[in-house]
Amino acid sequence: MLRLILLISAALAALAVAILLGVAIGETRLSPSVVWQVLANQLAGAQYPVDPIDQGIVWNYRLARALVAASCGAGLAISGVILQSLLRNALAEPYLLGISAGASTGAVLVSVAGLGAGAISMTTGAFFGAVCAFALVALLAHAAGSGGLRNSAQIVLAGIAGSQLFNALTSLIITKSGSAEQARGIMFWMLGNLSGVRWSDTLLTTCIAVAGMAVCLWHARALDAFTFGSESAAALGVAVRRVQLVLLLVAALITAVMVSIVGAIGFVGLVIPHAARFMVGVRHRRLIPASALIGAVFLIAADVISRTLIPGQVLPIGVITALVGAPVFAGILLKGRGGRA
Amino acid sequence: MPVRRLAFSTLAALLCFSASATEYPLQLHNCGYTLKFDKAPASAVTIGQAGTEMLYALGLGDKVAGTALWFNSVLPQFKAVNDKVTRLADNDPSFESVIGKRPALVVSQFEWMVGKEGVVGTREQFHDLRIATYAMPSDCEGKNNLSGSDGTRTTAYDVNALYKSVQQLAQIFDVEARGKALVDELTQRQAQAVAQLKSSKLQNVSAALWFSSADLAIDPYMAGQKGVAGYMMQTLGLRNIVTSAEEWPTVGWETIAKANPSILIIARMDRRRFPADDYRKKLEFLKNDPVTRHMDAVKNNRIVIVDADALQGSIRMVDGIEQIAQAALKLQAAAR
Repeated sequence: MLRLILLISAALAALAVAILLGVAIGETRLSPSVVWQVLANQLAGAQYPVDPIDQGIVWNYRLARALVAASCGAGLAISGVILQSLLRNALAEPYLLGISAGASTGAVLVSVAGLGAGAISMTTGAFFGAVCAFALVALLAHAAGSGGLRNSAQIVLAGIAGSQLFNALTSLIITKSGSAEQARGIMFWMLGNLSGVRWSDTLLTTCIAVAGMAVCLWHARALDAFTFGSESAAALGVAVRRVQLVLLLVAALITAVMVSIVGAIGFVGLVIPHAARFMVGVRHRRLIPASALIGAVFLIAADVISRTLIPGQVLPIGVITALVGAPVFAGILLKGRGGRA
Repeated sequence: MPVRRLAFSTLAALLCFSASATEYPLQLHNCGYTLKFDKAPASAVTIGQAGTEMLYALGLGDKVAGTALWFNSVLPQFKAVNDKVTRLADNDPSFESVIGKRPALVVSQFEWMVGKEGVVGTREQFHDLRIATYAMPSDCEGKNNLSGSDGTRTTAYDVNALYKSVQQLAQIFDVEARGKALVDELTQRQAQAVAQLKSSKLQNVSAALWFSSADLAIDPYMAGQKGVAGYMMQTLGLRNIVTSAEEWPTVGWETIAKANPSILIIARMDRRRFPADDYRKKLEFLKNDPVTRHMDAVKNNRIVIVDADALQGSIRMVDGIEQIAQAALKLQAAAR
């Protein structure tokens, strides 16, 4: 019990340090004392005199951004865990369900094709695109028969078909009304971008991430059973169909929300679960919180790097996650060589 | 035979005498290419509104066989002319639709349309078909269009690139007098605007120009240091707080708010692709965002609204310079 408490507090401390770093480091240089004073003003009701612009930057821009990064990292990692376990596929990731492709299509429909004539934001378009794509993929997998959603191969194949379809649609829309500036706006977004997030987004992403994690933890035992295949899970008394449906929906919803707010950040959902498995093993009761924590810290770190790597310029976070993530993951792979059952 | 030759040379002499008739074959340099014309081109296709309206302003509307790449509606004084011209595409035209018009010349505003990685084609592709191409110096001189998202200026933009395009096009089409008149008018109007602001002794004024944003709160597209909009600010003696050499770099609001410019210039456009294309949405954002609303320019309402198409290397640029100068003068009057 003591060990558990220690572990949890260490995890929370790591998260807090990451968030603090995310708040302290940004595009412009703010002294640590200013950052400290703003946090004290806002959290403890202190009355330090701080420039309102500095105050806004720390509290409204950076803190909201760090929290969104954390919840997105956690959410995407959890979705990855769910899909890898349910589909028994080490390469499964949140975007496998066509969600990222659908979100991109929705975003270009709004920003390039001019759907909604400026009244709908790219975020809204992306969310509906993501939901439509997932619905299509799910329907296709279901209609493909032979167990439908129960058959993991069908889902993977339907997801690939759906992704290809929506990617083609995106390309079609971009080429049809191509202008460099718009294509650029889309690129910006497709590689992930956290610059536009504010407190309202933070609330949404945090709730989704926490709720998603709770549902997954509730089904941790079932997820363990699925690792041996759905037949074995059924034999172990898991209501296979219902659990599968609930968890797939959770993964889809988390991903759709995150993608619509910050764009398609790659790598996190695929790699973080594996990294977590190397560290804490395959039991989901530990794997889920560990993945969430690593995902959260990783994405905050990636965001800090994306803002500081080239002074005066913010790089797309998706570039950083892959650029930093791939070598780190290679290291984990090499270290865990042979140690994996 | 001698009589005819005599008549011809007299005519030639007469034309020369009547000031600046083009002598063919004409040879001129244009963005790394040498262009040769044996006679004035019979027809032209324009890609980009700047070239289109420039030809209209030179009274060459009847020579324009097709147009493409429209960001805004045509200037009202050219509406009648423009209505008679085929619009090949609102955005980029296909290569075949351009050559289908059998033009003798293609006038392209941007190298990303016709150029090394042009979406319509390369200049060689047109030259192979004996179609001449003219690229606007505003976009290709002192600018590397293969680096940075909208190209990167290697040297700061200068309005002479615009005057050069007017003069060269006038020369190509043998209407040099009209070209000179147009350049004179543009030069004079700009000098007047600059002089007005100079005489007002407005000093150490910093500015930032917000073009649009892919999403309302996301890092906005701002005018870079060396681009056309950067030139306009610099000419008027305003210090651009954005330091990037890119044409339209994205800059975080954190950076802009910390720099706290005295004046904010925002673009107004007909385009409605992004919510921030609407200048009213821009204003609303500036006044409500927890950080930008504390900026001096926003608190004191020192926000200038300028037409987006006045921010290009086009004959409309002087309109933009006048608008910014007027606004700056008004701000000063209000501050007194």
